[in-house]
This record gives sequence, structure tokens and C-alpha cells, in this order.
Amino acid sequence: MNAAASPPPRHHVIIGNGVAGNQAAELLRDRDPASRVTILTHSRLLFYNRYLLPGIFQDMANWPELLAHPPEHYAARRIHVRRECRVSAVDPRNRLVKLAHNETIPYDTLLVATGGRGHLPEELAEYRPLFHHFGSYEAAMATRRALPERGAVVMLGGDMIGLDLARTLLAIECRVILVTHETTFWPHALTPEERTNALATLVAMGIEVIDGDARGGVAAVEPGAPGLPARRVVFHNGADLYGDVVMPCFGLTPMVEFMVGTGIDIERGVLVSPQLRTSDPHIFAAGDVCQIWSEEEHAYRFYYGYRNVRAMGEVAAINMTGGQEAFATNRVESLGHDAQGRIDSSFWVYDE
Amino acid sequence: MTTMSKTDIQIAICGSAGDGTIAAGDILRNAVAAAGYRVIGFDVYPPEIRGFGKCISRLRISTDQSYSLKRHSDVLLSLDDSQALPHAGEVRDMGAVIFESQPIAPCQEGEHMSARVLPGQIPYAFSMRELSQQATGGGRARNLVALGIIAGLLGLTPDPFRAIIARKFGKQGPEIVARSLAGFQAGFDGATRTFKLDDVFFSPPGQADTAQRVIMLSGNAAVARGCLDAELDTFFGYPITPATSIMERLAAELPKHGRRLLQTEDEIAAIAATIGAGYAGARAATATSGPGLALMSEMLGLATITETPCVVFVSQRGGPSTGMPTKTEQSDLNAALYGSPGDACRIVIAPTNVEGCYRCAGKAFEMAERYQTPVIVLLDLYLSNRYETVTLDESDHAFVLDANKPLPRLEPGETYRRYALTEDGVSPRAVPGDAGHMHVITGLEHNELGRPDDSETMHAAMSRKRHDKLQAALRHPEFAVTRRFGATGRVKVGLLAWGSTFGECLEAMFMAQAQNIPCAALKVVMLSPFPVREVASFMDDCDQVLVPEINHEGQFAQLVQGTLARPVTRLSRVPGSPMPVELILNEIRRLAQG
Amino acid sequence: MSIPIKPVFVDEKLREVQESGRLAYRSHALPTWCPGCGYFAIVEGLTHACNAMNLPRDQTAVVSGIGCSSRFPFFVDLYGFHTLHGRALPVATGIKTANDRLTVIAVGGDGDGFAIGGGHIAHAAKRNVDITYLLFDNGIYGLTKGQTSPTSAVGLRTSTSPFDNPERPLNPLLMLLSYGVSWLGQAYAGRPDHLRGMIADAIAHRGFSYLHILSPCVTFDKTSRTYVNLGLQVREIPEGHDPTDLMAAMRLAQDTDQPALGLFYHQKRPTLGDTFDEIAARARAKTAPATD
Repeated sequence: MNAAASPPPRHHVIIGNGVAGNQAAELLRDRDPASRVTILTHSRLLFYNRYLLPGIFQDMANWPELLAHPPEHYAARRIHVRRECRVSAVDPRNRLVKLAHNETIPYDTLLVATGGRGHLPEELAEYRPLFHHFGSYEAAMATRRALPERGAVVMLGGDMIGLDLARTLLAIECRVILVTHETTFWPHALTPEERTNALATLVAMGIEVIDGDARGGVAAVEPGAPGLPARRVVFHNGADLYGDVVMPCFGLTPMVEFMVGTGIDIERGVLVSPQLRTSDPHIFAAGDVCQIWSEEEHAYRFYYGYRNVRAMGEVAAINMTGGQEAFATNRVESLGHDAQGRIDSSFWVYDE
Repeated sequence: MTTMSKTDIQIAICGSAGDGTIAAGDILRNAVAAAGYRVIGFDVYPPEIRGFGKCISRLRISTDQSYSLKRHSDVLLSLDDSQALPHAGEVRDMGAVIFESQPIAPCQEGEHMSARVLPGQIPYAFSMRELSQQATGGGRARNLVALGIIAGLLGLTPDPFRAIIARKFGKQGPEIVARSLAGFQAGFDGATRTFKLDDVFFSPPGQADTAQRVIMLSGNAAVARGCLDAELDTFFGYPITPATSIMERLAAELPKHGRRLLQTEDEIAAIAATIGAGYAGARAATATSGPGLALMSEMLGLATITETPCVVFVSQRGGPSTGMPTKTEQSDLNAALYGSPGDACRIVIAPTNVEGCYRCAGKAFEMAERYQTPVIVLLDLYLSNRYETVTLDESDHAFVLDANKPLPRLEPGETYRRYALTEDGVSPRAVPGDAGHMHVITGLEHNELGRPDDSETMHAAMSRKRHDKLQAALRHPEFAVTRRFGATGRVKVGLLAWGSTFGECLEAMFMAQAQNIPCAALKVVMLSPFPVREVASFMDDCDQVLVPEINHEGQFAQLVQGTLARPVTRLSRVPGSPMPVELILNEIRRLAQG
Repeated sequence: MSIPIKPVFVDEKLREVQESGRLAYRSHALPTWCPGCGYFAIVEGLTHACNAMNLPRDQTAVVSGIGCSSRFPFFVDLYGFHTLHGRALPVATGIKTANDRLTVIAVGGDGDGFAIGGGHIAHAAKRNVDITYLLFDNGIYGLTKGQTSPTSAVGLRTSTSPFDNPERPLNPLLMLLSYGVSWLGQAYAGRPDHLRGMIADAIAHRGFSYLHILSPCVTFDKTSRTYVNLGLQVREIPEGHDPTDLMAAMRLAQDTDQPALGLFYHQKRPTLGDTFDEIAARARAKTAPATD
């Protein structure tokens, strides 16, 4: 066999190390055994389950316990996970991914699965260093360290990610103070009545709910005074409240900055067909980063939650290897409460 | 061998020539030694001074002194990925791989360290260039930023680093010191802000009082220190890798004591002057490597036949001929033992670690003077250049400085007999300046007066004298010609080793013992005269004898077999680097099963 | 340089020699040189010089290499070191470095000094090590029974040049001057009185002194450098020669047809010992503690 007879293996490059990206990687490996599969991520950790992150506030402080697979898995599956890699640009014409450290990676097919980062309303951006985050293991650990035993957590907004954590915080006897905002219960779209009921459920669970709009919204976040908790939240109406940690929980913003300038259609997220194809035939997108065309709604819309995202990873992998499957969801996005009267969401459904 | 609470961390720093790799390693090892840890370290650098050669500084930091480097490092810091890429694999699982996030040059896929970090390892990308720029206004402090990152990430206290940086750069003025400290601090702060995911942790060092007497030395520095403590009068040398730093150190130190060092025109002149000075009654030495030893061989024969004390430090490198000047090897044993025409007996000793370099250096002068003979101290590049923390008892006058036999009074009309045949073979030695003892020494065979005499009886008597007197060196006071480690009594496998490789043997032996293989190791420090009794009695205890050494011919194994006529198993390799401990261990296991 | 007309009587001569005291510098060993060898005059010259200078015998060392001339140390009662072929100078440098108080005299032949040991002369001269080098130049290897040497004349037929020596001889004087020798003289074994004075002057010089001594080999060179030929060629150093003028010395050294006898050049400059002392003073002045 000479070199010319065997073309170089196809290179599937996945940007993002979350559920969508890893689900795609596994399937790509099975469907295209000769190919190279590379995951690019700015994380230092291998794929871990974000849905398990609240556990670190209880007994799961050791990150290896969070990992979805042991390190050997990646060698055995020939999935090359490139950690500490920031994608700075994509060049669809030459099919290249450019990394911030000046490395260029050629691809045959590219899957954008970068997910979203916690949204911070512009007026609060200047207080970013004073906020506590929950977007990654490292951020969550820093938040945990800042939180004293039975401390007070102020959640601004209160999206479903934050509310998931709130359940754990209550279980470890922390105070949870929720400052409502239009993003409360994000990504659930609730009627005013549903919202009122849901807020009542929160109060019943022990969450202190504060009407943010009634106070004119959050004006500033400041370090706390001596003898008081570490943070002070000031409202436009002059009212204030104190907490040991203050967490912005305003939903997610898709991470698409590096796609700007590629000519690929982007609205808030990367726009894709039900087959998860972008406007470039070699580029796909999956997970929280993409907006999928919905025939029903005649609009591009986001689909959240573990099951949706995982399904997107599968569909993308199938179509990256010649398939023609469409993403379909019949999952009901519902907000309710469980047997114990605690709030429960379809987004929190997680099957191991 | 180490328990959970003890520190045993190996750090590798890798870059190109000019990145400050070796300098960073130097500061790091001194800082951790100052903090009270024991260190063994070895630098690998290219033969070219300028250019793009690879530099690696590896050091193993431990609570108890280690005897070799580990196969796996716990931390690798890359100052230049083009050099460090192949070394990513040497980091263990859960260890840290630290690299530059803002390299200057664009690279192709796979040429950045992030491509090589294995799934089990923890990657840390730091913008060392940018941190250096911000802190110092330039990129040159990148290696100090790197040190700060290591210290910050591993939780080392920064004070010893600051002190050593201040000392190291003190000569270049306060501005450079301030800039260097700022670079270190930038890295340190950057790392302490970084979430630590690896599991490389330092336990508190050993007792503080022992730390005070512990100093950090390279093998060559220990040789130089041994020379100074033995009150070396004169040193003559010619630069040659890897022995040069012995001369460089002595060039700085000897004049402070009013003593003299001369860089000669070649190695022949170096040994000739050394012998001349020895003849004149001075304590004299030279240092060289294999090629220089070859040039010295005729002169060493002159020292043997004229019974003139002189000491030659030989740091071996890859051979033959110019060979591999910056790679280590143990292939000059035969040249050291036999490298002279005629029955040119001499004493050859080989230290096995840095502390041994110090002791052997001093003891070599005792032996040279007491037995009136050339003494070769055999080192190698690995031992010369590696760093270890050593405990030197400064109050102890380690060396017996006047080992000469007293000159007898001459009766009127009596002629001084320089080569008087005595019971122990050693004749009282007069030197120029001793009144009434004028005599001529010669490379010709001679009689007791030193006058040419090639009669059969005289040649036989003098040959016997020259050889027999050296036997006493095997019982030289306070000098262990061999030393046994490991299990006492009968063992399955006995390791017989010399020189720098003994450290790897010892580590392998400890690992084998942990696997319940009964084994022991004998280090042989004196190679000529050969400690027949000690080696034979050790071999009596061993079912199998393994001789690991860094040469192709198995020169030491040949020596053992030739002297004792007993079989040994050879483990001869020429990797240009230290013998891998695992290789020795595998061989031990194989022999233990067989 | 007068040829004695007065007859010499053995008993008178013996008495004169004994009374002079110079016999004290002779050893009991009889020289092994061939009868008529020029080197006898050199050993006589050295003992004369030592005696005249009243050098303490136990403070003087003679160092030689290998060759006919290098047997020299055995014939004087001084400390002596008969070393290896070509290595007298570095050994002598070592001895002087070890003990400045010693008077160190290196002796050797043209092969020892300019062939095998040729690499050492330049460095001894440039360092200005305070020793005296007496080079016996007979233009042939005598001890190995007559082969060409670096100073053999073109055309000399020897056992290793049966088709005549094709190589031009070296010019030792010119070499030494360019090496930076601080005392350079030439003498001739056939003029013993002048020779002994030159030896004494060379020893008295502080620094590296080089005395080139022309001598015949009466056994292996019957044609080129004979007493007759040398006697006809040598001349006194021209009157008015300025021995501090290096260029003049070099011009003089180029006249190899008529070798001049006498002091070619001398210069005062620090010896190797002086530089050692200066380095030690500078090192001690530096109070910075040693760093390891």
C-alpha cells in the first residue's frame, strides 16, 4: 500500500467539552472509525457532568468524582481532548480553526458545541469581580470556599441553573435570597399566573424571595462592611441587603464570539437547520450554543436541558458522517413541583 | 521507600538554549534546599553555546535524600514547546504540565504543548511572556515568571526564592534584582490565583537544624570543595567538558588562599606540571575527561615509576575519541585502570554521589601522598553536573593532610635513597629544598638511589614495590572501599556497581525489596587496587550478580570477572543518559525468577 | 676567545678545579656522552656558573626530557628530574609554581625541545615563568643513533633521510623572540669560557631565559655541524647591538649562516610567580563570600 492509496483520515473537530460535544465525539468515533476526533476546550478538566456540580456543596469536593469518563477512556476511544485551548477564530474557506496560542488546526467537519456562559446584564458588568459564579467546577469551588457554614447566598435573577443549586444550598442550611428579575425561572417561559405560583413554591421551600422590580432593580454590588457579610447589594430605590456570596443567575448567553466574521449565520446563537447544519456545509452546531429552525414556530429557537443537548450531539455526529437525521423534541418543558413540594423542572432531568 | 507524608516531587523545566532554563533550575533547587528539602538534580544541555539546542533541568525534591532521578516527573514546565513536546509523556497522571499560552511563533497542529498533554495529566497554560512583559517591561524574565508559577502552584514559600534571586542577580545591580523579583512575583501571583487541580503537594521539610548544615553542590563543585578542604596548593588544567567547572571553581577560590592555578597549553602540560609540582612537594591536581586522560597516560606512567603523588579527576563522557561531549558514559574505566604502557599501577577511586565526590577528592590527596602514587578520581558527566543536597560537617577536619613518611636523618657520607626498599613499599620522600637530600628521579627503571638500573633483579624488586605498596590503600583509614546496602545474608540478586550508576541501582534495589525480592547492592568505590576480598564475599551471598553500567563493553563486569573468575550478568547500556531505574528493576526481577 | 698557547699540566688543572669548588656541583656519575661531545662543555659550564653564583645545591632543580642532553641531571649533584621526551618545560613550570624559591633549570636537545615538545616553548616564554632553558642544539637525534631533527640542515643524510633531509631547519631564535621570551642568548660548546658566562647570565635573569647552545654531534654528523664548520661560522655579537631592541634581535636571529654568540635580547617584565601573587592579592581584596 503506498501513501497515495490511503488518504489522510478525516478530522472531526469539536469545539466545546460539554454534553453535546462529548456525545458527538463518542458517536463520531463509532460511525467513522478511521477518523481523527478532536475536542477543543478552554477547560483544564476532562468532560465532567455540570448537572452534578451542586454536589460539590455537599460531599463531592473531589473533581475526579465528577468526571464522566476516566482518563484512559480517551486513549481507548482515540478521542483527542485538547484542554487549555481557546479558539480565537474559524476560517471556513480553508477549513481551519485558529487557537489563541497561535496554533492552526485543519478540519474536515467542525462541530460548534461551546454552550453558553452565564449572562450578566450590561449594567452589572462592572461588578463582575465581586460576583460568585457557578459556570465551571473551578468557579463553583471558589464560590463554595467563599460561603461560610450556614451562610447567606443572594441569587440575582434565579434561572433554573441557580434554582437547582438553591435546592442543595437549602439542604445544607444556607439562606437563599432570590432577587427576582425577568430571567427568573429561565429558560422556562411562564405565564404571570404560573410565575406567581412558582414563586410561592420557592417561598414555601424556604427561599427568601425579594421583588427586584419593586426595588427598581439592582444598582450596585459592593464589598460588605466589617462585621457584616462579605457583599452588599444596593437597589435603585436605596434599599440594600447583605450576603456572603452574590450569584448572577440571569440565564445563559451562547459563546459564539469566535464565529463572528466567519460569514456563518448567527442571531443570538449559531443558526442551524433541524439537521444542525449551519450555513457552511462543513460546520455544524449543537447544544446551548445553537438556535434550531422550528417549522412549527417558524423561528429559530433554543432547546435546553440534558436530554435535548445530548440528542443534538447525536444528531450532529450522524449528519457529520453522512446522515440526514433531523433534531426533534417532544419533550414538554414543564415547571412543577415534586412530592416534597419542592420546585422541579424538566430541564433537570438527567439520566446517567 | 517514601511514605505518604513525605515529599518526593520531581520537576522538569525544559526550553531552548537562551531561555534561562538551567538558571531557573538552579534557583529552584537552591530555594528548595534552603527550605530544608533534599535535592538531586541533573541538567541536560546542548553542546552548542548559542542556538536552539535543548536544555532540561530536572530535580527531585524529597524529605529524605534520593539517589537517582525518577522516570516520571510530577511537574513539567515548558519554556519552549518545540523542545519540550517529547517530554510531556514523562509526567505522571495527575501531575502538572505547564506551558506558554502566548508563544510568539505560529505553529502547526500538534506543535503546541496543549496537544501533547495526556488525559490523565493536568494542563496549565500561563501567559508567561505577557506576565514577564507586564512585570518587568521585557520578556527576559520569563524563566523567573515560570519559577513563580511553580512556587505558587505547588505552595512553596516564596522567601527562599527571593533570597536566592537577589543573591544570584546581585552582581548585576539593584535594578536587575528588582526586575527579576517582579517577574517571580508575577508568576507566583498568577499561579496562586489559579485553581489547583493536580495533586502535587509538598509536605513540610525535615527538621530545621539539619537543614542548616545542608548545602547544595554539583559533583564538580563538591570536588572543588574537597580540593580546597584538603588544602590543594596548585592546580593545572586544560578546559574540557565536563570537567571544566572544577577548574573554574578553583580558579576563583584558590587565589583567595594564596594558592595557584594555571591553565596550561594542553593536557600533557597539565599533568606534567601537576607531577612537577608534586615532585616539588606541593599538593597538586588536574582535571580532565577521556580525551585528556588519553593524552595524560604517558605522564601517569612517569608518576607511577617516579612515585610522585598527583591527583587526576577524570569526568567521563561518551566516547571513544571526541565521542559525545555532553552525554554521560562510564567507558573510561579501562583507560583509568590501565591507560599507560608498562605495569603502570595507580589508585583509581570512583565516588557514587555528590557527597562522595567531596570525600573522594580529599581522600585522593591523602592516598597520593601516603602511597606516593598517582590517584585517579573517576567521575562522569552525570555525576559532575548533577546537584545534590549534601551534609558536610564543616567542623570536622575530614582529611589527614600530612601523610608523608618522615625523612630519616642521614649519617655523614650517607647518600639519600629516594627509593629505599621498605617493608610497606613506601620510601621516605625528600623534595627539592630538603637540605642534603639531593637526588635525581627518572622515568628510567632505577635502583634505590634513583639511578638508572635495568638489571633483572632491580626491575623485579621495584615493580613489586610499586604494586605492593598500593595494597595498603584497601585499608586506608576512614575510607570505605566498598559498601553494602540492602538485605544482609543470602540474597537472590546482588547488584554490583560503581560510579554514578550506583544511585540508580540503589533505587532499583529499594523497589525490588518492596516487591519482596531479596536483594542487596555493593558499591565499589575503589577500583584499583581491586577490593578482591570484599567483592568476593559479597558475591558469595548472591545467587545472581547483576552489574549495571553505562558502557558498551561491560568494563567493570570484565574487571570483576577477570579478577575473580566468577560469572556475573551484565547490564551494559549506552543511552548517553543515566541508566533507567526500571531497566535495572526488570533485570532484577528476571534474575530473581530464573 | 683565545686559544691557549700555554701547555696545561694535569695535576695543576686538577688542583685548580678542586680549589674552585665547582666539583661540589658534579655528581659521581660519569657522563655517558661520546668522547668529544660538546655537551661536556655544557655540564662544565653549568657547574662553573652555579659555583660562581654560589647557588645552594638543595635549592636548585634541573629538569630534562629525553635525549642525549637530557641525561644531564644525573651528572650534577642537584635536585633533578629526568622526565619524558619533550616535557621538561611543563614539569619545570610545575616545580617553579610549587616553590618559587627554587632555581629551576630545564635542559634538553633540539628534538626534545622543538619536535615533540615544541608546543610547550611558546607558553613557557609567554608566561615568563622564571626558569632557565638550556637548549643543546646539535641538529640531530643522537640517543636513537642519528636521525634528522627539526634543526638539521637541508641535505643532511641520516638513517631516516637516506635521500637527504629535504626540510628547512627551524629558526629557534626567531621563534623564541616572537613567543615573547624575556632573555635570549646564544652560545657555542666550542667556546666554554663564553658559554659559562652566558649560563650564569641566563640563570641570573628574572623570567624565562633561553640559551641556545650550538654543539656538534661528533658521532652521527661528520659533515654538517662539525667543530671545524661551527668554529668557522660563529661570530661575536656585533658591537653596538642593543639587546633591548626586539627588531634588532630579530634581524640578528635571521643570520643563520653566521650565528652570533652573546645576548640577543632581554626585557624586564612580571614573571609567572609575580602574576600569581598579584592574582592572589586581588582575590583576597575581593571580600565577596563564595557562592556555591
